[in-house]
Parts: sequence; C-alpha cells; structure tokens
Amino acid sequence: MLLDAMMMEPRKGLMGRERERDQFPVGMRVLAVDDDRVCLKVLEGLLRRCQYHVTTTNQAITALKLLRENKDMFDLVISDVHMPDMDGFKLLELVGLEMDLPVIMLSVNGETKTVLKGITHGACDYLLKPVRIEELRNVWQHVVRRKFSNRETNNLDFSKEYSKHPTTDSYHGLSQVASGSSDQGGSRASKKRKEPHREEEDEDEGDDNDNDAQDNDEPSGSKKPRVVWSVELHRKFVAAVNHLGIDKAVPKRILELMNVEKLTRENVASHLQKYRLYLRRLSVVASQQASIAAVFGGRDPFLHMGAFEGLPSYQPFASSAGIPSFNPHGLLSGVGTAAFGLQDLAPSKAIQCASSNGAVSHCIGDTNKFHIANLQENQQANLAQGLTAPLGQPQLQQKWIHQETSDLSSFFSGSALANTMSGTLQRVTSSSLPPVELLECTQIKVGAHSSIRIPPASSGLLERSVGLSPNLQDSSISQQCAIPIDDRFSVNKLPLHIPFVDVSTTKLDASFVAPEQDMDQKGKFPERVTVLPSESLIAADRSKCGTRSSGSTMLLLSDTERHSKYLKFGVASNSRHGIDEMVNGSFNYNGGASVPEQNDVYDFGNSKLHGGFNSSSCNFDGLLNSIIKVENDDVPFADNDLGCELFPLGACI
Amino acid sequence: MDYSTLRRQITFMKKSFFDQGYLDEQFNQLEELQDESSPNFVEEVVALFLKDSPRLLTNIEHTIGKYPQDFHRLDSLVHQLKGSGSSIGAVRMKNECSVFKAHCNDKNLEGCRRSLQRMKREHATLKQKLESYFQLLRQVAPREHAVNSRK
Repeated sequence: MLLDAMMMEPRKGLMGRERERDQFPVGMRVLAVDDDRVCLKVLEGLLRRCQYHVTTTNQAITALKLLRENKDMFDLVISDVHMPDMDGFKLLELVGLEMDLPVIMLSVNGETKTVLKGITHGACDYLLKPVRIEELRNVWQHVVRRKFSNRETNNLDFSKEYSKHPTTDSYHGLSQVASGSSDQGGSRASKKRKEPHREEEDEDEGDDNDNDAQDNDEPSGSKKPRVVWSVELHRKFVAAVNHLGIDKAVPKRILELMNVEKLTRENVASHLQKYRLYLRRLSVVASQQASIAAVFGGRDPFLHMGAFEGLPSYQPFASSAGIPSFNPHGLLSGVGTAAFGLQDLAPSKAIQCASSNGAVSHCIGDTNKFHIANLQENQQANLAQGLTAPLGQPQLQQKWIHQETSDLSSFFSGSALANTMSGTLQRVTSSSLPPVELLECTQIKVGAHSSIRIPPASSGLLERSVGLSPNLQDSSISQQCAIPIDDRFSVNKLPLHIPFVDVSTTKLDASFVAPEQDMDQKGKFPERVTVLPSESLIAADRSKCGTRSSGSTMLLLSDTERHSKYLKFGVASNSRHGIDEMVNGSFNYNGGASVPEQNDVYDFGNSKLHGGFNSSSCNFDGLLNSIIKVENDDVPFADNDLGCELFPLGACI
Repeated sequence: MDYSTLRRQITFMKKSFFDQGYLDEQFNQLEELQDESSPNFVEEVVALFLKDSPRLLTNIEHTIGKYPQDFHRLDSLVHQLKGSGSSIGAVRMKNECSVFKAHCNDKNLEGCRRSLQRMKREHATLKQKLESYFQLLRQVAPREHAVNSRK
C-alpha cells in the first residue's frame, strides 16, 4: 500500500516528475530519515498529503547512500536528530557539505541548545515532533530559498563586477543551487565567470567561481560539469589550504597542491569562498551565542548587515558592521536582530552571519584591520591575496564579517583568532592593503600566542570552524545565538585542516567535525579554534579597551581616510574595496554621522562587552586595541590606549 | 451489532480516548491523513507503534537492570518512545516519558523505575483500548473509511 505507493514514485518516470516539478511545490522530492518507524510513517503520510514525493528510510547511512548516488534525486531532506546509526547532525553536515541540499531537522527535543545545534550545523529548519502538516506545507520555501540565494549571488556578481555588493554576491554565489533546476543560476554563474570579479586582486581569487563549482550550465557557452566536493576532495582542499596558510591560500596554489584532475581554479576558488564563509559562520555563531542577547537597536549595523545580505548596497551593512563590532553584545544583538530580519531577505547564510557575526566580526575585522594596516605596510601582498579571494565576493565579505563576528563570540571557543584574522582579512580587503597582508598581519598579531596560520581561505574557514567549535564546545561557548548558519557552510565545511593555533584547545568538540573527517583533522581543528579565542580574550581583557576605545578608535579611524577604508565593511565593490567599506561602515556608519551612534552603541556595547560577552567582548577590545595600536601612526589612538596588543595575544593568555 | 450501533460505539469510544487523555489532537491528524490511497493509515501506524513500543519498554527495563547508572542511555531510549508515542497522539505515554526523562536528568534511578512501571501500565491500557477500537472499525470498514471525524 503505502510502501507500494512509495515504490511507485521512482517508476513514475521522468515525464511525470518533470510535470510535477513544474507545479512546485507539488512533487517536491523529499527524503525522510527517521529511525523510528512510527514517526517515519506518520511523516511520510504528512508529506504525501502535501503532495510531495516522499522517499523514506530509517537509516541515515542508507539516506546518505541514496543522496550520494544521485544528488539531483532530491530537493529536500528531513531528518530526525536522534538516530542510532548516525547522529542527525552529522548527517546534516554531510548532506550540506556534499550535496548542498536543504535539511530540516526533526525531533521531540525542542531544547534551545539542541535547536541551536541544528542551526549551526546548517539545518534550514528545526521542527518538533509531532510535526504538524501546516509546518510541512511550508518546507518547500527552503528549497526555493536556496535556489534563490544561488541565483542572487550569481546575479549580483554579474552585475557588480567589482563587488559593490560584497556580501550578497559572494554569499549567494557560494550557495549552490540546491535542486537540479539551477539553470538560471547556472547562466548567471556563467555570466559571472565572464566578468572576472577579480578586479585588481592579484590573486585569482575565486570571486567568479562561485559558480564554477555549481551547476554551471552555460558558462560562457561551455558547460562545465558540476564539481562534487566529496569529503575526500574537501579534505584535500583543506589540507592544501592549511598547507599554504590562510593568507596564502589562493585558488591557483590550492589547485596545484590538490592535484586533482579536472578540477579548475574556478572550482577551487568557489569552494574557497564557501569555506571561508563557513568558517566565518562558525565564528559568528559562536559570537552570536554570546551576545545574542544584546539588542542593537534600529540602526544597528547588524540590521544593515542584513541589508548587505541581499541588497545591492553594501554600505548599510558596513556601517552597521563597524559599530557592532565594538560592542560584542550590541553587535550580536544587533546582528541577531538583523539576522532575523535578514533571513527573510536573503539566504540564511548571509544574514545569519551578519547578525551575530556582523558585530563581532566587524569589530574584529576592524581591529585586525588596524593592526594590519600598521603591520602590513609591507606584507600586503600576502594578505591581500588571501583576502582578496574571499573578499572578492561580496558574499565572502559578508561571510567573513559574519564569521568574524562569530569568531568573536567564539573566542571563547578559540575562534577568536580566527575572527581576528578574518577581521583582518576583511579589513585588508576593504582597505587598500592586500588581503594577504592583512592576513599576515592578523596572523602575526592574532596568532601571537601561537602560530596560527589562518590561510586566507581559512579565515573564512576559521570562522566557520570556530563557529562550529563554539557549538560543540558546550563548555566554552554557550551557543545561544539562533542565527541560522548558512546551511551550506555550517559544519559541513569544517575546516579540518586549519592550523589555527598550536595551543591545544582540546575543547572543540570533535563531534561537529564532519563525521567522516579524519580524526586528525578533527583533533586539529578543535584545538586550534579553541585556542584562539582564549588568547584573544585574554588579550582583550588586558587591553581593557572596551568599547570606549573602540569607539574612540573608530572615531579616530573615521577621521582617517585610510581607516575609513578599513572601516567600511563589505560595501566595497570588490573584495578589497568591500572590506574597506565594511570597515568604514562599521566604524563610521556611513561616514561619520553614525559616529555618535556608534558611541552609543559602544557605550551600550561596552557594558555588554564586559558583561555578558565574556571572552568575546574581551576579544573585541583586545583586537581593537591591537588594531588601534597598529594604527597609531595614522590615528591618534593615544588617548584611547587600549592597552592590549594584538600581537601578544597569546602572551596575554 | 448493526451498523449504526457500531458506529455509535466507535464514536463514543474514540471520544472517551480523548476525554480521558489517552489520545490527543495528533490522532485526529492521523485520521485526516487517511484517504483512498492509504485507507488504513491510522490502523497501520498504531499497529506499528504497538509493535515497536513493547520492544522499547523492554529495552528500557533491561537497561535499568544492566546499566542502572547509564542515564544517558536510558534517556536515549525513552526519547525514542516519546517520539513515537507523540506521533500517534498517545499523550499519556508521552507525558510519562517526559517524567521519566526528568528522572534521568536528576539521576533518580528509583524515579525511573517507578516511571517505567507507570509507562508499562499506560502502554497496556492504550494497547487494549486501541485494539478494541480498531476491531470495531474493521467491522464497519467495508462500508466506509475508518475515518471518524471528531464530533
């Protein structure tokens, strides 16, 4: 009966399917996974009532097998959290990483922390059992949203060659079309390819390759086969990225190191972007958790962040980003608010990051920037490169920001460094300084405590990983931010190889590492991540910069053109530029008018910074201080003597 | 028994399930899912539940005996029972599962034991009631769908 009906579906034939798909959401293909037969049967019944095509399995392993056999066989996956053969979150990660399909989690358990875990692992939704049919009737939106975000990225990239749309484009571009019907996205992607984003980025960043890895149906007339980033391939990728160092991990080099046939630089660049965003997201999540409570208020950068998520004008985001950063709490809250708001606007990814991360990342980024600005006078090349790539894409920036933010929050968990770095990266990008340099600077500074190499790509990764770690580390970070992490990037893209910190941050919960990742990777990752935050935290504490200094810094910075560049977050058209804008945004709120607001924010944040944000706050301060110090030559930070130096962040610890 | 009497009896029985708190709205949802393509949906789901849940209960009991301090494992088992119970609308079972989980949280083994006993009783009662209910339904099945809208 039901079983037969179920089996009938595959036999329906392509025609039938096609017809059904035209009536989307009717005929949407869902894969339901639940070890409990009763629940599975009920779920199936409900889904059928919604007129979806349902395939059920009560084993996660079978589900994976089905998905791997044919990625285009399903539009959506609904999975139980609690399964004996594989943790639902792991399945979620894998699906997101390998197939980039929206996954909805189901559980009887509706505890905040579990829901959050689902979110940070990339679930696009989390439903409680018993599921009501009304809830299932709406799940198709997740499929559409994913496609939309992919498309948007492509569009944006295309239209804003030089990344005036820092966040959205790259962000969207990164997300691959969830279901098979990605023609539009593909065409856009191809357009994107035609218009090299890479502006002046010396490194051939993968700006234009978001699409490469996606269904590029008509890239400049030739069809590129979609690259499947299997776990193995991703491992190689991460290994290459780690090997190169985050600031030096440019697609070309990564490609060389990976030595995989039929993999193009574009594929790698695209994946790199995603990875960075993923990292960032992780850090954002971490930071968000910490500061999610903070309420930003209307003009929160976060809100703006949301804007950049899906809006062409990146500026708002930038400004918002800037301010929040100083105020971890504020930021987070702002972000959170923005995030929530944004979610509706754009793919969860960007927004989410923005919300929680925005604040944090901005700060960090800014801080980093300052640092970097000083440090890097000569190291620009490296950082620029590293940053360029990710920054090239608005998305990336966005993500970075997010990730940075989360990093901040995840400072606890050790992602602080990542954040810092990402922030730096971001700064670098936005500023004229080459991203690579920024990275380097950041690394130097941030990684003071340990040789944390945060490859440019990794910065994003870091963030991502960081984000993850917070999640996993129950102890370190109380992830409460409900900011939905981009499905694609969360967890699935664990930056296993990022050698963030030497310090053993054992805390990272290996569980969040993709189940199939190597153990060593897992070990590495968590460690690294954890360390970072603590160090930065300490540094931050020492510096006692607090928002005040940040604020002043910001003000000062705004005075400086150069700083303004840094300040501008993400508005920049191209990656670098974008960062500048972003940085500026964060600090200046579009020019300075916001400064007063910033102050407010800062003040607000200040209390929060020191209050609830915990290490995250500290990190901000510390970072800020370091940045400020770095910027001494440019800005009279003197009065704000932050006291903490980015460099010896490790030392602080 | 004539048809109308049967139907009345069925209706009454079902109402009593709700009134006495054995079943909740979820059960109605299941019934609504029953249609031409799955005419015995509810009965199948319930049958599945009645088949799987005793196994779970036995597992729980066994675990209490063998790993009395492994509350995590116990919680895990009960979690599943709670999930399936709530999926069919077995509200009393679901509630008892929550109680059990709370005891697990408190690492209260004795509380768990007592809760398990109550769960088993609830389960037995529910099983008996549902089986009678479906037995009646089967008698009227040839004439109509076993879908009874709650009056």
